[in-house]
Amino acid sequence: MATRASGPGVGSQVPVTTPAATESGDLGAPLYIAWQVTNECNLACLHCIEESGPGKAFRDELTDEQVFSVLEQALDLEVPYLSFSGGEPMVHPRFFDMVEYVCGRNGQLKIETNGHYLTPENCARLKSLGVKAVQVSLDGASRETFNRMRVRGDFDRALEGVRNLHTAGVPIEINYSPTCFNAHEIGVAVDLAAELGAYSFYTGRTMYTGNAVKTWHRLALSEAQYDTFFEVLHRKTGEYRGRMRVHFHEMGLLEELRYRLHHPAALLIVLPNGLVKLINALPFVCGDLRQQTLGEIWARFQQAWQDPRVAKFVEDLAEDPHKTASLHQWVYL
Amino acid sequence: MKLAKYVKFREEKFGSVLFETRSEKVYTLNPTATAVVRELQAGRDELDIPGRLKERFRDDSGAIEREVVAFFAELRQKGLVED
Repeated sequence: MATRASGPGVGSQVPVTTPAATESGDLGAPLYIAWQVTNECNLACLHCIEESGPGKAFRDELTDEQVFSVLEQALDLEVPYLSFSGGEPMVHPRFFDMVEYVCGRNGQLKIETNGHYLTPENCARLKSLGVKAVQVSLDGASRETFNRMRVRGDFDRALEGVRNLHTAGVPIEINYSPTCFNAHEIGVAVDLAAELGAYSFYTGRTMYTGNAVKTWHRLALSEAQYDTFFEVLHRKTGEYRGRMRVHFHEMGLLEELRYRLHHPAALLIVLPNGLVKLINALPFVCGDLRQQTLGEIWARFQQAWQDPRVAKFVEDLAEDPHKTASLHQWVYL
Repeated sequence: MKLAKYVKFREEKFGSVLFETRSEKVYTLNPTATAVVRELQAGRDELDIPGRLKERFRDDSGAIEREVVAFFAELRQKGLVED
């Protein structure tokens, strides 16, 4: 939550929060832009919330000119932090040019990847360009679970990619999506992340949307399984304190969205075609970077959250949690 | 003293934000704290900053100097600055 110190004094306590928790209210620009640079992917994961996969690039993805215009706007607005995800961002033909542009203008950039293109050469290049971190999805601590989840994926190749990052000296984050067939490996997965040299480990509840709608019967965890899952994470958080940060969100989607209705995060989600979403877990689009500037979209971001359709969607979720199945049927505010 | 490698600073109408991008923590600063960070960004010596701000804010009580020193300690303790 954005807290402001007031009065003439500096104050001995600096209010602290996170970008996702920082309200957008009085900020002149977002603090974080999470950009899905393409919907194309080399894998076809069972749980992919974007329904990415081979041949799944949107027909209307931003042109090179549009991509670099958006990047220029973001850096002109001093957006301090960007992430490139997908799909698989590293299959974007201008991926390294985009990285070079952001890092060259002193932006802090995180890459979210499945790790399959993290060759020693690419890792060395990411290091020399100065990316802030590379987050690799490792949904499993074994070949069996990882390869089951990440269709067309290869556990050994992803692992090799993380090792290449470590060798190159690129800061590593690991992301883990739990399912009924990999949740039991969470403790080993956290240990593996630490062994691989990660400084952060992220996980939470897997969402019923995208590919997961079709595969839910193969993925869904019971609440009892989630209880055990989070219990292990609490233990691991303490075990790795000071060495690796273990982040996890126990909060259910409904609680999170109810909170967000009143406290929109200072974060814009940019889709491969330039549409800007309020938040990933809602279908609402609040702007189009092909037609509006980033500044214009940000200026009406708060107002867009107040649209009654947003609150209604969130409250309808209480009745029907499976409404998240329709997140890709965008609703223009 | 300067801002640490992963810390970004941006001025806002209310003051400024410091964003530590590794821990992904955001620190919201009031105008006076903003003035301190601005001085650091300008390359001023840590030892000169309390006096400069005392003068700028016309503070004869010494409160600003004390608070600036405490603020430096806090920035250090949170890993937001490096020497």
